[in-house]
Amino acid sequence: MNRRSIRAGAIICALLAAGLFLGRELRHGLALKTGVASALPSPGDPSSTPAPVESAQPYSPSAKSPSVLATVEAAPLPKLAQATPAVPSIDPRKALGSKSAPITIEVFSDYQCPACRTLYVSVWRQLVDNYANTGKVYLVHRDFPLPVHAHSRVAAHYANAAAHIGKFEIVEQLLFEKQATWEQSGDVDGTVARVLTPAEMTKVRALVKGGTLEEGIKKDVELAQFYRVTQTPTSIITCKGQTYPVVGVQSYAVFHAFLDQLLSQK
Amino acid sequence: MMQSAPFTLRRGFLLLGRLFLGGLLIYAGYAKLILPGMYPHPPVGVALALFATQIDSYQLLPPWAVIQLARSLPFAEIALGLLLVIGWQLRIWASFATALLLGFVVIVVRSYAKGLEINCGCFGPGEALTIKTVLRDGALLALTAGIAVCAFLEARASHPWSAPEKR
Repeated sequence: MNRRSIRAGAIICALLAAGLFLGRELRHGLALKTGVASALPSPGDPSSTPAPVESAQPYSPSAKSPSVLATVEAAPLPKLAQATPAVPSIDPRKALGSKSAPITIEVFSDYQCPACRTLYVSVWRQLVDNYANTGKVYLVHRDFPLPVHAHSRVAAHYANAAAHIGKFEIVEQLLFEKQATWEQSGDVDGTVARVLTPAEMTKVRALVKGGTLEEGIKKDVELAQFYRVTQTPTSIITCKGQTYPVVGVQSYAVFHAFLDQLLSQK
Repeated sequence: MMQSAPFTLRRGFLLLGRLFLGGLLIYAGYAKLILPGMYPHPPVGVALALFATQIDSYQLLPPWAVIQLARSLPFAEIALGLLLVIGWQLRIWASFATALLLGFVVIVVRSYAKGLEINCGCFGPGEALTIKTVLRDGALLALTAGIAVCAFLEARASHPWSAPEKR
């Protein structure tokens, strides 16, 4: 066997592999067009995935309502990039936009993480203006306080307490914008007091001391484990039953291109 | 009479190395285009836009360059992988692959040193950039550089096909 025959063999193998690849993709595309794919295990199929949970249920940290997390404990962890049944329970007070938007973005972040601050300042506001307010995206904040940050859990408690009195957006904005100040002093209470009235602060303090908020944060952290989130910020983007993990900080232009591509899907 | 080149350790390394590296590059490109972890697979346009978000998280390039790179890199990896598997003009393509891997290693090391908590994006989404990524890319760079060096050495060595036939 000479060199030419080896080369010819390699070319034939490569062409065969390319043919198989294209054939597989073509078949897959055809299956989708003719609806064959619907016969396959689908995101909504309860036998293949954890049971869907009623989305956008009212936020109640102390409530023992069934959640996706209860199912997660029993079920093996899914692959990160796996189709999920629906967006799990969402606290509408920590979300912006319409629940019926075609795309849901759950941002797992830590109030003391500098990258989360960058994402919030450079991307979040534009997403709110251009996608959430136009009904294209449902933007959800999820707490993922990292143990390495001394005050992030306290900050999450205050933000969740503010959500209870309908002041989440303003407190979240303040916590990120004044991150450098309170992360050094640890004075989250004093920072939050800048934007809330004394009456509101009294309610917030009572909620923080009440200890009921931890449950809500724990649920978000467990959900992060379900999605295999290990870093902050991580945005879990759900569209047409598929979840796409986007880790780290992106520029708005790239995020915008990705969202437009998702929205253009038929 | 024409005869095939005798088997040597270097030729064996070249053959196995380029087949492995070529296959790996083809898979890397395929994983970025198809997202094998997802079923049903999203359209290629969505996969490429998702890949763009991964490139962007390295915080190296302006958005327009990120989008262009995301659109071209997976195809370039598949083409380069096929060329390595075929073995045509191996010196050129192995050198090209070495330069590409060197670029990857530099970027990965920089991001790791900066403490960026991002996904590598090497074989689709879901792989965090850790020390393992750095070591793996370093090992792949060493392999690619080895293939390129061996390809040049092989080209210098006298070959039975070019030698005059013995009478």
